[in-house]
Amino acid sequence: MRKLLLAAAACAAAMALASCASLQHSWDQGNVETVAKLINGGQSARLAAMSTTPFLVDGEIVLLKTDVAGFWDGIIKAGYKVEGPVLQSGEPVSPDGYKRFADTMEVRAFFVQYVKKDNRILELKTSAGGKILLIMRDSWFSKTIQGFKGPY
Amino acid sequence: MIASAAPADITYTEGDTTLKLKTGKIQDAQIGDTLNTGDTLKTGSDGQAELDQKGVTIKISRGTVFTLMERELAGKTSSVLSVALGSIKYKYDKVSGSEPFIRTNGAVAGVRGTEFTVFSGADGSTLIAVDSGQVDVESEGKTVQLAAAQGVEVPLGQPPGDPIPLKSDQIDYSKWNGDKLASMLADPIGSMTTIQSVMEEYVKNETDYYNQYQASQAQLEQALQTHNQILRDKGVDEAKKYQEDVFLPLTVQTSHLVLNYRYYSLVALSLRRFVAGRMYVTLKARYIANQDAPEWKDFVAKYDNLMSTFEQSIVPRLVDADI
Repeated sequence: MRKLLLAAAACAAAMALASCASLQHSWDQGNVETVAKLINGGQSARLAAMSTTPFLVDGEIVLLKTDVAGFWDGIIKAGYKVEGPVLQSGEPVSPDGYKRFADTMEVRAFFVQYVKKDNRILELKTSAGGKILLIMRDSWFSKTIQGFKGPY
Repeated sequence: MIASAAPADITYTEGDTTLKLKTGKIQDAQIGDTLNTGDTLKTGSDGQAELDQKGVTIKISRGTVFTLMERELAGKTSSVLSVALGSIKYKYDKVSGSEPFIRTNGAVAGVRGTEFTVFSGADGSTLIAVDSGQVDVESEGKTVQLAAAQGVEVPLGQPPGDPIPLKSDQIDYSKWNGDKLASMLADPIGSMTTIQSVMEEYVKNETDYYNQYQASQAQLEQALQTHNQILRDKGVDEAKKYQEDVFLPLTVQTSHLVLNYRYYSLVALSLRRFVAGRMYVTLKARYIANQDAPEWKDFVAKYDNLMSTFEQSIVPRLVDADI
């Protein structure tokens, strides 16, 4: 009987964990779809409003809000589209996470100083085959973007 | 009137103004805050600020990155007011003999009891307009003297042009900077070649000072051992004399060399961040849907070369708080 109870408890815990992971995956997928939708819809002002400074573009640290706004405006004017975004991976920020953007002292220092631990690094793949990396934070009240890399 | 590297108090702020301390901490700038050496004040598109540095007024315009720095020159520490981007207006009441230097990405200005405005362009060029007093503007080994109602433009990597009649209130900075940005983006390869050349100059200066620092540091360590030996063998009085005659001057010399190699490291970082980096982000957006374009690939090759120079020679002298 005791063994049965223990097995049931383990099963319930596993199901809860899987459910949590599944929920996180859904959130991450939702977030990449949100960013893709805004880019495809030409919503540069909204993207700029969601972006924090300092902001990371590939391995470049962008300090000025006007430059971040200019970046979003620029990619939309260039006609860039993120079609069929599918989440490839979503992970919390880790000590080595910066290397996915660039393995440099500056990017490491950017992550140490400016990227809070509740941010996530999301990788999405487009239907054209390109990949994009995003640094995003999703709280109950707002979503913020702190970095963009790609397509690569 | 102005002590070398004197702190500056914030006496006015408006709109988006941010203070980045030399520790790396970023906070909203407020009246009453103080900028110390190594601190940076940044204004957004709607931001303005005013500083008071022992009776000197510094007005910081919109879209400006301003840092208090210091370096050693002729055996003493000198204050350097750095304008990486945007524009600053300075007003000094009188000549004191200890005025700071003004630095942009491509020029250095020495001032004497004056009122003038410095504009630092997106392409690294500088425009200085003097309202009163005198300003000496130096770049690439050439110095131009400006009197009241005169101005000069200094393209990045080039000596100053000839003085022209110019008043600061005649300048539309937004248009001037817009033209500079457009020129830079019209010839990205040429622009990166110029940036590379200037970066190499900063690297050379930084390396020279760093090598001198290492030699001085070795002398200092030896001097410490000698001091301790004298203390043991000859007593306190002799050791004290040695300390005053040899050890302390070496300490000052070594600290000055640190100031100077750090100064050139930070100047190189400013060029990398506010000229090359901003250019990369702008062109990245432009070519994001066409990354196979030959002009983008050629630019990236030049950019990678610049980053390689920067990573090898400057990054080892930086700390996380500089970023």
